[in-house]
Amino acid sequence: MSNTLPLDESITEIAERILEQATSPQVSIKIEQVTVSFKTPKGVYTAVKEIDLTVNKGEIVALIGHSGCGKSTLLGTISGMVKPTSGQVYANDKKVNSPGPDRGIVFQNYSLLPWLSVYKNIEVAVRSAMKELSAAEQAKLTETNLRLVNLWEHKDKLPGQLSGGMKQRVAIARAFAINPKILLLDEPFGALDALTKSAMHVELLKLWNLDHREKTIVMVTHDIEEAIFLADKVVVMNNGPAATIREIVNIPLKRPRNKKEIVHDQMYMEIHDRLLNLLIDKFSIDDEH
Amino acid sequence: MIAKLSKNEIPDPQTTWVVFKEVIKQPFQDDADQKGIGTKLLSSLGRVGIGFGLGSLFAVPIGLIMGSSKIAMRIINPMVQILRPVSPLAWFPLGLAIFQDSPKASVFMIFICCLWPTLINAAFGAAHIPQDHKNVSKAFGFSTWQYLSKILLPFSLPHIITGLRLSVGIAWMVIVAGEMLSGGTGLGNFVWEEGFNGGSTAKILVAIIIIGLVGSLLDKCFMWLQQKFSYTI
Repeated sequence: MSNTLPLDESITEIAERILEQATSPQVSIKIEQVTVSFKTPKGVYTAVKEIDLTVNKGEIVALIGHSGCGKSTLLGTISGMVKPTSGQVYANDKKVNSPGPDRGIVFQNYSLLPWLSVYKNIEVAVRSAMKELSAAEQAKLTETNLRLVNLWEHKDKLPGQLSGGMKQRVAIARAFAINPKILLLDEPFGALDALTKSAMHVELLKLWNLDHREKTIVMVTHDIEEAIFLADKVVVMNNGPAATIREIVNIPLKRPRNKKEIVHDQMYMEIHDRLLNLLIDKFSIDDEH
Repeated sequence: MIAKLSKNEIPDPQTTWVVFKEVIKQPFQDDADQKGIGTKLLSSLGRVGIGFGLGSLFAVPIGLIMGSSKIAMRIINPMVQILRPVSPLAWFPLGLAIFQDSPKASVFMIFICCLWPTLINAAFGAAHIPQDHKNVSKAFGFSTWQYLSKILLPFSLPHIITGLRLSVGIAWMVIVAGEMLSGGTGLGNFVWEEGFNGGSTAKILVAIIIIGLVGSLLDKCFMWLQQKFSYTI
């Protein structure tokens, strides 16, 4: 009896561990004690300080905060565009050292190459990120993704001939086309008008759904409504310099979310007020002064 | 009016027109002692073409390297700054010393003069590639070749063409001077030998008109290229 007991224990231990791994969500991005400082003529400027953040697979996370609070810098450490001064970032269980095709990026200013047609813009990205595919497969992938964002009939236009919303759709199609596990969006809809923005939110969620919600999305925004509508978690940042995470707000609203209905939801309103409170300390201008 | 002011030293338009018609009567005559204006024009254009082509062949890559790398900029730029202001005519004797041949020396002179505008413009283009475009290259893992062909070259191309346009203008200006010095067949030679030494001011005027027309035609070609390769952002 006494001999078998430790064995039993270890079996249950192993079983538990396996069970835990299966039920607990997979970690997609892990940010550990990340500090980013820049050297400026005025001295060292610390943008973000000792940030810890874990994002699970298939989650949509919004980074929100005032302008210049280091949200884009933090996103840059995940993409590999920004090197942390100290601390580490892991994406898909690998330490981030440089940008890679496992992390798709959508830039705020679209960043399309103005001398290439819409089609070529996506094709060149597919070609460099998915070298293992044949030319026919690359062409098919390009076409599929262009059709998904309803831009197939505009494929021969140059980016200069497109509206802002269309340009951003090309940029999103380009990021989706290389099928990254992680999608990083840096204020993707910041330059769009409110109506186009709403349409783009739905479009983004549609693409995410089509992919069985397996892509992890991290987006930087300063739009509270956008953050609540899209995200599972909203990370509210303090003001810089040396910005830290102020609070992480969970958004347990059920999906699919409906733009019109969601605003009347009690939970939506509570979260909205909460975020507003976190972001704005003073609600009115003090007349006394 | 100028004709009247200079007491017919400079011929009036009618006289010039008569000479002009006479000069272009047999444009491609190519006898040993008598060559038509067309033959001379073509031989000048040929020299400009070779000098300009060779110059551009060197200037574009060197310019792009200079623009892409700060180290290359620091090494090459001082040399460029020193050599660039040197008068084209100063290069002619050097060319003569190297090649022992005066037509080759004028090609050499054009080659040197064509380098600078193209080189400086190509370097400017390459140095001003927006960070956005570089980020795209990084984010999607472009190979060096893809970066060169899809980002560096297309972005620098309008600048390069501006450089080429300036270069060809300079080359065309320099060739006349070069041929005056070197002799042989060419427009510069026509101005000097047949015009000035031949005592026909009208021929000088005709030559000036032809040089001007061809020069502006060359410029038009590059302007057309410039428009063709400009893009809207």
